[in-house]
Amino acid sequence: MNARLDSFSYDDDIVRKFLWATMIWGLVGFLVGLIIAIQLTMPESNFAPIWTFGRLRPLHTNAVIFAFAGNAWFTGAYYSSQRLLKTRMWSDGLSKFHFWGWQAIIVAAALSLPLGYTQSKEYAELEWPIDIAIAVVWVAFAVNFFVTMARRRERHIYVAIWFYIASIITVAILHIFNNLVVPAGAMKSYSIYAGVQDAFMQWWYGHNAVAFFLTTPFLGLMYYFLPKAADRPVFSYKLSILHFWTLVFLYIWAGPHHLHYTALPEWASTLGMLFSVMLWMPSWGGMVNGLLTLRGAWHKVTEDPILKFFVVAVTAYGMSTFEGPMLSVKSVNALAHYTDWIIAHVHTGALGWNGFLTFGMVYWLAPRLFQTEMYSRKLMEWHFWLGTFGILLYVVAIYSAGATQGLMWRAFDETGRLQYPDFVETVMRLMPMYWVRVAGGTLWIVGTCLGLYNLFKTWANRPAAYEVPVIQAAPLSREFFDDPHAPAAAGVWARFTNASWHRKWERMPLFFSVMTAVAVIVASLFEIIPTFLIKSNVPTIASVKPYSPLELAGRDIYQREGCFNCHSQMIRPFRYETERYGDYSKPGESVYDHPFLWGSRRLGPDLAREGGKFPDLWHVRHMYNPREITQQSIMPAYPKLQENVIDFDNIQKHVDAMAMLGVPYGDAVNKAPQMAREQAQQIAAGIEAAGGPKGLHDKEIVALTAYLQRLGRDLKNASAATAPPTAAPRPAVVAAPGGNR
Amino acid sequence: MRLSDIMGAANLSVYAEIAMILFIVAFIAIVILIFSPGRQRTYDAASRMPLDDEHPQTPR
Repeated sequence: MNARLDSFSYDDDIVRKFLWATMIWGLVGFLVGLIIAIQLTMPESNFAPIWTFGRLRPLHTNAVIFAFAGNAWFTGAYYSSQRLLKTRMWSDGLSKFHFWGWQAIIVAAALSLPLGYTQSKEYAELEWPIDIAIAVVWVAFAVNFFVTMARRRERHIYVAIWFYIASIITVAILHIFNNLVVPAGAMKSYSIYAGVQDAFMQWWYGHNAVAFFLTTPFLGLMYYFLPKAADRPVFSYKLSILHFWTLVFLYIWAGPHHLHYTALPEWASTLGMLFSVMLWMPSWGGMVNGLLTLRGAWHKVTEDPILKFFVVAVTAYGMSTFEGPMLSVKSVNALAHYTDWIIAHVHTGALGWNGFLTFGMVYWLAPRLFQTEMYSRKLMEWHFWLGTFGILLYVVAIYSAGATQGLMWRAFDETGRLQYPDFVETVMRLMPMYWVRVAGGTLWIVGTCLGLYNLFKTWANRPAAYEVPVIQAAPLSREFFDDPHAPAAAGVWARFTNASWHRKWERMPLFFSVMTAVAVIVASLFEIIPTFLIKSNVPTIASVKPYSPLELAGRDIYQREGCFNCHSQMIRPFRYETERYGDYSKPGESVYDHPFLWGSRRLGPDLAREGGKFPDLWHVRHMYNPREITQQSIMPAYPKLQENVIDFDNIQKHVDAMAMLGVPYGDAVNKAPQMAREQAQQIAAGIEAAGGPKGLHDKEIVALTAYLQRLGRDLKNASAATAPPTAAPRPAVVAAPGGNR
Repeated sequence: MRLSDIMGAANLSVYAEIAMILFIVAFIAIVILIFSPGRQRTYDAASRMPLDDEHPQTPR
């Protein structure tokens, strides 16, 4: 043994900072959630341009994922890692940089998303300058973390830290590869991938963001704070290691289950389904491990609100990880995809698992960090029960909303026609459930406010100066002696199971991290490379041409307003979909879609074949006020689109960026603005002739109309030889069967 | 000839299956490792790590 002892102390100041950030951003994120829930029930509460569902919904998701859950993970990671590694963080400066950098990014997101700066990829909406900032802050966090590990005074690295390592590495990989874009201005960019490939990349990212931002970091927190709160070690350490490796091996493959029955190749979606179903086992192993940690301590659960929070959190983890694999089964997915079912699933996880685990952790930390008694135990109890009923109201209502809408979409009457041809009918049916959601969300927010008040009062009772205990521990010796009591290993098999080599890995944090990274990268590459490089997976369609410059400008507006949050552009190959929307979508149709805009939720009808369904004037009036056309529509009104002037000067820049990505733009590379003006004149003249408003020739509504009228036209043109050429498609004045939507 | 033509001709899709087999083998190895006897002592010490903030449970 080493006789020398180091003296050191833990940095709890950074933990206190992250704890406040968690709770304050959490409240902000929840409030935005409540606002958009109300907007879905009362479309009048949308105020374009900034205050609309399409712009606020990404703000909600980003705030709760990256601001609330992100800061919660950092709170717990900084507290637990120092103690598990028996060392202070390597650099207080880097810790502070991480904190302030992350908060600055959150502020940038909170400003840029409502202003309409978005990459239009779910949970990766932030534009490229912010993405670069995220990468820089993340590297600072990682460096600080890994050097701290290298300087630890505990030989074994506890399993919670393994979960943190996997999360840090994988999030970095996901973030970088999904955000590869070509900038087309200070806050505008186009994804380097298009169509199917972009969709594949996005849901590889999107799924693993859930896995490695909301699951593995919080499992790390669970494996530390649950034993702490229960005051007993985890039920089975073996099971926790198995849990870790299985998640790392399986999760990364599961992404394609977000794209069942889309234009994604069949093999990829089946692979995603298989791995998702396999995930059920380790997830439940982890849940059981968490719950059994409380063996012999269940009497404490009735008394201790912290343990109550943890028990519900672990149970919610079990529920959502049972449901996830179930939803990834294709036949279940066919019903649930594009409906509220997914929203309910996500909220079981986010509110139950992430939310309650965070609150339990915060309440456990508060008296220790503020070095005083918790102000009120009763308020903690209130918070727990309000939160629990909030979750129940929310998910029960939204599960039934999802099933209702899914069943209505696929219902045929006895004559073989769609039973609910009016899309809006299937939305109206959801309104009572949407109000229940508003009630549930309100309870949740009241609970959060009680929590913040309780924390504030606790903080107010803090001592004048915090006590900083000095710890003494011996540094790790360079010469390692394996367990002297272990039986000597003889033979290859014994040496293998004796596993001194694995313990050697565990002592080498960087090597261990590299191995984790290799597992993740190899899985990703083998999953992704085939779609990217094997041509037959994305058959080309000769009649599919790039968007005209004006249509591209319209597409930018479509992205800016977040239309993809409610409208999909991906018709699945089911009869009830093709009856309603037209021919199913082909992979070759979106080869020029940088980024893809397939969408993941239908609060309005699919738009993949929108072009030509209605006259231009219909779109002009519909955008001005959707309720003039469809009385019960819940879509926001966009009257300003008739006043805003198209940014003709920037069109060239945008076309050039697309051309750089290999989109064959031909002449448009030199005279995009001129071409756009010509097409706009033509459409505006048509609108005027049809009795619409005058002087729209340079207004944004014309560009958006041009884009919407283009959707799905290329394929129609291919099948109908008499159709006009693709350059400037003129809408046919034909109402869709079923008429008013 | 574009890169995608070359890669398309190389029939890479079989690699996905190879990778899956590699993963399964690695995974089975890990399972055997975890449940092999003789590691219990290490695990017992490790599982106590969260409960003591001051004293290393697995020193050296």
